[in-house]
Amino acid sequence: MNFDLDKELEEYSKKVREFSLKEFGNDVASKYDVEEKYPDELRLKALKEGIIDFSNPWKTMIGIEEMCRVDPGMGISVTVPYFGAEVLMLHGSDYLKENYLGKVAMGEKIMGLGVTEPGGGSDVAGLKTVARKEGDKYIVNGSKMFITNGTIADFFVMLARTSPPDDPKKRHRGLSVLVVERGFKGFASNKLTGKLGVRATNTGELILNNVEVPAKNLVGEEGKGFYYIMEFFNISRIFVAAQSIGIAQGVLDRTTEYLKKLEKEGEYVGEERKFKLAEIATRVEASRLLMYKAASFLFNYNPNPILTSMAKGYASETASFAAETAMEITGQIGLNSEIERFFRDSKIMEIWEGTSEVEKIVISRMMLKGDKSE
Amino acid sequence: MNEQAELMRDTVKEFADKNLKDLALKVEREGIPDAVKEKILEQGFVGSNLPVEMGGAGLDSLSHRLMLFELAKVSPSVAAYVFFHNDVVLKQLSSGNKKDLIQSVISGKDSYALSFSRLSGEKIEDGSNGAIRRALNEKANRYIELDASGTIFAGEGKAEPVKNFKPLGLRGMGVCDFLPSSKEECGTKEDLENILAVSSGDIAALFLGIAEGAVDKAIEYTNVRKTFNEPLKNYEPVAFRIAELKSELEMLKFVLFDEGSDEIRMLMLKDLSASLSRKATKYALQFHGGYGYLEDFGVEKFYRDSVALNAIIYRPVEDKRILASKIYFGKSGFI
Ligand SMILES: Cc1cc2nc3c(=O)[nH]c(=O)nc-3n(C[C@H](O)[C@H](O)[C@H](O)COP(=O)(O)OP(=O)(O)OC[C@H]3O[C@@H](n4cnc5c(N)ncnc54)[C@H](O)[C@@H]3O)c2cc1C
Repeated sequence: MNFDLDKELEEYSKKVREFSLKEFGNDVASKYDVEEKYPDELRLKALKEGIIDFSNPWKTMIGIEEMCRVDPGMGISVTVPYFGAEVLMLHGSDYLKENYLGKVAMGEKIMGLGVTEPGGGSDVAGLKTVARKEGDKYIVNGSKMFITNGTIADFFVMLARTSPPDDPKKRHRGLSVLVVERGFKGFASNKLTGKLGVRATNTGELILNNVEVPAKNLVGEEGKGFYYIMEFFNISRIFVAAQSIGIAQGVLDRTTEYLKKLEKEGEYVGEERKFKLAEIATRVEASRLLMYKAASFLFNYNPNPILTSMAKGYASETASFAAETAMEITGQIGLNSEIERFFRDSKIMEIWEGTSEVEKIVISRMMLKGDKSE
Repeated sequence: MNEQAELMRDTVKEFADKNLKDLALKVEREGIPDAVKEKILEQGFVGSNLPVEMGGAGLDSLSHRLMLFELAKVSPSVAAYVFFHNDVVLKQLSSGNKKDLIQSVISGKDSYALSFSRLSGEKIEDGSNGAIRRALNEKANRYIELDASGTIFAGEGKAEPVKNFKPLGLRGMGVCDFLPSSKEECGTKEDLENILAVSSGDIAALFLGIAEGAVDKAIEYTNVRKTFNEPLKNYEPVAFRIAELKSELEMLKFVLFDEGSDEIRMLMLKDLSASLSRKATKYALQFHGGYGYLEDFGVEKFYRDSVALNAIIYRPVEDKRILASKIYFGKSGFI
């Protein structure tokens, strides 16, 4: 067994780190954080400089980790314009790929994923947005909540109900994915402000009032939307694990530097704080190994949802553990440093793309059905 | 609970419900409004714990804890504002026998900026212009500060806003870079250490108030929010966690509200309260899902405040060392 990255990945990771350090140091990151502003110019720069590279999912994963290690809010902002792209890649028609996905990849458009609604995010099949077929279009009514890129995306990959479930216990049937443009009549959005963290990312609420969506904007087959979205989460959760590990590693780097400085200056550090550092470091390594294992299944076309949920769940808990512990170790110094921002950013990891509780539901349900994590 | 304490608790509860609850979000966004500060002063919360001969109300320590606890449940920033003035500034001014200055705080003429870590001797960079960097209380007109010789100074000056910075916690108090323009001696570091040594109960009251504020919100929300057609309270991982938090909270409140608790017990209580507040506020946020991550729902502030307060006033090494030395009947540790 060999845990080294291959040369190409190693070089890519270095390049991403250099880009991140150059483009979003603390001053830049804290400005966007305070102003709650999306750094659009950074998105374009990252595309131009080859930081966004769809050729290899390992690159995406490692790139996300490296960027979030420098700053989570800015790092996520660089990679999130493509959020939901895999759904179109895997199931979109040529028309959708060309007209939507292609333009996102060129930097001409930004996309978003609309699943969560005001009434619920964990219970995906309980959604209330309805898409009624009328001739060659769907009429969509409902609302979506907490949607990343909500007020800046040009279009959304959106889950809606196209037919009532044949059996109330099978609510996941009858859901479909549509591509909904911001420009369609009846579409409105509001920016949600006052987030605890990841404040450089844009979050909005979408309101859909008789929005007319051409039938050709249906992704894949009608009624299969729930499965497409779950399949997507099984991919994207790996990337949330990478965000989380980036945060935890970033916090670890900074805390280690702080304690090293104290020791060098002859200040008291104490074993208690050193042990806490050791604990963060151990959890970061463990999370990363779990992510690599889950990724190796997924990227070899053999996804294992148990492993993916374990990787996401554990890494996200590690991120907030690391950030909270770092605040304890660094005290007032941490409060006035980047660690404070990492701390606020870290908490979202346990919420989005399946809360920690939802990951445990997935893991335990599948294990009791006889599935395994190997 | 004695009658005075009971009365205090009811008064503060009523005050917080009437004057703070609806403004709690405004406090976070814009700082404690002047009208709220005036009402706090009118109620006599500031200076309440000082002896009568010093111009205070001579409130017993249990009643004082109850006051901080009830305020923190609704607005940790407001509670911290009162705490820092009552437990640090006014007591220090008392030990320097500065009756006029005390009166100016109690009347609302003065309020103080302070950097707690600098007061406890932690090395923090100075602003290039001699400012006290990132001091608490953005609206202060005076400051209190420790110098290298171990003398505590107080004086006038100007609070400059900190650009491009939003503090993690206690946003209602805000932070500033404070530029001193005058100074006068006001006691010693030893005085301050003695003052802090008896503030554990009050600090525990802040932490437990924060914990209860957050747990109450979580109970309310998980009662009504439904997922998979069931209220959240029907899920064991939700209900059992809340039950555990509530159990710990009730046990610790029992000690907090006990008149007979001595300082060492209060130190133990502070330690447990600090850790409970972190845990409780984190779960409260988590059980609110995405809504928990937004300021509007008034739950993330408890999480921020708990961690910020920990960083600001909790001294894990010093306090644990005192506890350990009590248990081992002597010195424990290498320094
Ligand atoms: C900043 C931000 C960005 C986001 N971006 C997007 C986006 O781009 N697209 C999108 O579709 N969504 C997005 N979300 C939504 C996010 O995915 C949801 O918030 C999340 O899935 C949780 O859903 P909820 O908020 O409705 O919480 P709920 O589903 O209401 O859950 C509340 C709490 O109850 C717990 N819970 C629920 N059911 C159970 C159970 N059966 N057992 C035990 N515990 C349970 C949950 O774990 C949680 O702690 C975003 C959210 C935020 C905050």
